[in-house]
Amino acid sequence: MPLAVTSAIAAELTPEAFDAACRDRGLDGQELVLDTGTEGVAAATRARTSGARVLAVRAVRLDLDDVPALAAVSARFGVPVSVPPDQVGLDAVPALAIAFARAGGQLLLGQRTDLGAMVALAEAIDATGDPASLGIAWEVRPSAERLTDATALILAAGDRLGLVRLHGGGPEQRDQDGRGVGPLLAELALSRFQGPIVLCPSDPARLPRWRAWLGSTTSAGCGHGKDPRRLDLDVRDVEPRDRLAAILDAYRALGPGATLHLTVDHDPSCMYYTLEATEPAGSFEFRTVAHGPEVWRAEVTRR
Amino acid sequence: MASIELDIRIVPPREKHPTIFRTFDALPPGEGFTLVNDHDPFPLRHQFEATRPGQFAWTYVEQGPAVWRVLIEKSS
Repeated sequence: MPLAVTSAIAAELTPEAFDAACRDRGLDGQELVLDTGTEGVAAATRARTSGARVLAVRAVRLDLDDVPALAAVSARFGVPVSVPPDQVGLDAVPALAIAFARAGGQLLLGQRTDLGAMVALAEAIDATGDPASLGIAWEVRPSAERLTDATALILAAGDRLGLVRLHGGGPEQRDQDGRGVGPLLAELALSRFQGPIVLCPSDPARLPRWRAWLGSTTSAGCGHGKDPRRLDLDVRDVEPRDRLAAILDAYRALGPGATLHLTVDHDPSCMYYTLEATEPAGSFEFRTVAHGPEVWRAEVTRR
Repeated sequence: MASIELDIRIVPPREKHPTIFRTFDALPPGEGFTLVNDHDPFPLRHQFEATRPGQFAWTYVEQGPAVWRVLIEKSS
């Protein structure tokens, strides 16, 4: 299940520069967004020769005139091409299957979170003579929809599900709390989904945040109070990967008898277990003083 | 059979650990999954040890600097 981000968040970067930013972020590659037509093919060729890790190609629209060129890009680079939902009617699906099968490429048809439509698209793909040349790109919008049917949708798509485009994640992770992303990822894992997950902004207005997110590899913040017996630390705005270090640094900065007042947006019991496993027995006291559901507060006193 | 991979990087912080335990608890004994994260998930290991003692094996597959992968297997 490789993780990619759409190149649309920094369209001015070359695929190579974008790839470097993805690498620093620990991402497995990019979704290369192309204009269709010959310009798109030329851009895809440049990206390919630069060595950038392109996990999927995105055509912003599907013009039937461009189908042979897109199929050729997909075949030459060995990655699927995805298109947004509602670009073609189901009656056009057989012809697309033939074109992509002939070229040896794969087209992933965009599909919204709609169980009936997902079933209809899956049936249309199966009814073609070349079902392997087609697949489904599920467009998931946790900020705008409820993902209560995730299990049924994954079942309906079956192994036709080639790609999940998640409108969120990245810097929007925290905004999508309780919107079904966790259960969705668990279901995808258990269904042995192998395709890429492509992250994209949920709204164009969020582009600046995404650009800042891609460009940053660390962030930390530690609010030191004036009272030497008290240290306040709110890790909600600290990147998840930097939180533990921030908390442990703060804890180790405490003098005997001083208390760390922690504010987090998840159950802090993992911190308790970590301190219990890493610190000398009886060297601290841990109290959870606010128990969610939005905010948890814990007080850790060093003895 | 294809392997099970759970990428926890895009899951909201509050849902990360519940999502991991949900995946683990759904596995049949003897099966495992690869957890993908952007930092060393060792606090999770302590939580596993405290809440599911003797029921799992923990093997690092990749250890940073940008990505960590841990194979978490359910004991049979």
